[in-house]
Amino acid sequence: MKHLKSLNKKAQLINKAISPEEVEDVVAMQTVVGCTATTDPGWELDPFGGLGSLCQPMESDLYGCADACWWPAQVPDTMNTYPDWGEGVAKADKDWRKLDGIFEDAE
Amino acid sequence: MALSNNNSKRAVLGTGVLALAGLVSTPVLAQDAQQIIRDRCLACHTESGSAEAPSFSRISEQRKTPEGWLMTINRMTHLRGLELSRDEKRELVQYLADTQGLAPDETQDYRYLLEQDTNRVETGIDQGLAETCARCHSGARFSLQRRTEQEWKYLVDFHMGQFPTTELHSLSRDRQWYQIASTETAAELSKRFPLQTAEWQNWQAADKTDLMGRWRITGYVPGKGAFDAWMSAAKTSEGHYDLSLKGHYADGTALAGEGKATVYTGYEWRASLTIDGVKMRQVMAADKQGNLMAGRMFTAAEREIGGELSAVRDQGKSGLVAVQPAYLRAGESAELTLIGQHLKGDIDLGEGVVVEKILSRSDDRITVLAKATGAEGQRSVRVGDTELAGLAVYDALARVEVLPKDAVARIGGAGGKMPKVRAAYRAVGYSAGADGKPGTEDDLRLGYMPARWSIKPADEVAAHDKDDKYAGSINAAGIFTPGDAGPNPERKMSANNVGRLKVVATVADGSGQVEGEGNMLVSVQDFVRRVLD
Repeated sequence: MKHLKSLNKKAQLINKAISPEEVEDVVAMQTVVGCTATTDPGWELDPFGGLGSLCQPMESDLYGCADACWWPAQVPDTMNTYPDWGEGVAKADKDWRKLDGIFEDAE
Repeated sequence: MALSNNNSKRAVLGTGVLALAGLVSTPVLAQDAQQIIRDRCLACHTESGSAEAPSFSRISEQRKTPEGWLMTINRMTHLRGLELSRDEKRELVQYLADTQGLAPDETQDYRYLLEQDTNRVETGIDQGLAETCARCHSGARFSLQRRTEQEWKYLVDFHMGQFPTTELHSLSRDRQWYQIASTETAAELSKRFPLQTAEWQNWQAADKTDLMGRWRITGYVPGKGAFDAWMSAAKTSEGHYDLSLKGHYADGTALAGEGKATVYTGYEWRASLTIDGVKMRQVMAADKQGNLMAGRMFTAAEREIGGELSAVRDQGKSGLVAVQPAYLRAGESAELTLIGQHLKGDIDLGEGVVVEKILSRSDDRITVLAKATGAEGQRSVRVGDTELAGLAVYDALARVEVLPKDAVARIGGAGGKMPKVRAAYRAVGYSAGADGKPGTEDDLRLGYMPARWSIKPADEVAAHDKDDKYAGSINAAGIFTPGDAGPNPERKMSANNVGRLKVVATVADGSGQVEGEGNMLVSVQDFVRRVLD
């Protein structure tokens, strides 16, 4: 790594967090209940506690996440659990308004 | 289907088990519930034991909260084809929570999840369990379950089968995830959260007090303020109550409502009320004597919008439950309201605190004009022979704590199906204490204080990305509303209106003011909202 120079902010963040102690901090980082920061990147936060390494806008690669069951606690996984989620919304970046959530039924 | 992503189910958003409150009119008989299991579950599960004391495979090897059992039944319905009527479902949740629930001592560290008070960073979660389990969902979600070691292993297997890419995630692919989870993690879980515990045995054997009666309640509703009220619980059947509630907010506005409550496991109070036209939920735990209840009340539509709630039973005796506000600045005259029941006799606000005038007085609410002198410290307030250490006298406000300290809001709305997830803030004041230094252990907690609310970017990156412009705003009542959902072409790469902010509370103190900050993460939608996240 010492011969490589970070060119953008994300790379600089990675460089900054490269020391073993900091990596340990990142791994151990917890966030607000119901959020995930560690599934590479997290859904709400990246492993550095920021937003810079997240997929943004989220709609641009949403099904890449949902299909691969990447954040099953936040995004319905279409692999097994909710195969029909996103049906009729082929382009999430255009039709995101049609996307509904899974609201666990009370009865 | 129990789990729905169609809009017609919108009304159930955030309601959880609480919507079950009080709707069963007949007592749940164990035999009836066992027969439901026989009729509905034995296509997959098996029965053993005797007819009087049956054991059902998997089911009998777990204990859960009412919400935990509801989630299990919902999952069985959605994924395994279970068919239950609405009444059968209610009966099963009641039976399972009553006979295979958690003791009060087993839930006390994790009540925030039951109360839906989730704007917090969990502490005390074992690092191994945080990396294996609590990196996707809360630690409280599994800490509120009790299982045999084999059942914990089955839970790991369920995750592996249902979410097969789990072992490819960060914190999985760098290790033998499945092997670790099914051996070390399952063993750790069964050690920490075993099926059989002394706490549960003792609670099963304990006498339970019926929770019918009159309750003096105090609480807080975001946007409305602190309130005090009377709530009466009329028993309709075993563990089920009709509720009626009447009282006042601190500004004098009346509040009234009606609803129903169900008590699970002998102490888990779940109520559903309509208060001044707004559907509200109560989640409280009764103490072992059944004379006090404490928890949270929140709106049915937005479980994040709520506040603390406590209830003290009317036992016909004199009692003080709260002083509002709970602080008095030395040298200043201010109105204080003493809230309680059967308040008779002389008023004594403690050393150096003078009652200048009694502005109004009834046997459950006394408002006085008071002035404090003397040293800083907590004062015991007395009315007749009842006493409450509920008034802090202070010289100067030294520190403001913003609650929640860490919170998440979620973008939504803008014509989409996902509503915005807001957050409600309050400010707590402290004086510096004897050492004169704020932020140390001897700081004196003064109580909730009115604040002026604002936001600012969390750091340079957030300022550069103009998070404070796009991610949301906070109103005078301390309610934060996030930005609109969807890609925003105004932002770099059409990023969403996400952001990292500081929520700032500015509290006046004499001629000066003191600020406190909380961390607000404005995030993308959570498309999967469980009864317990």
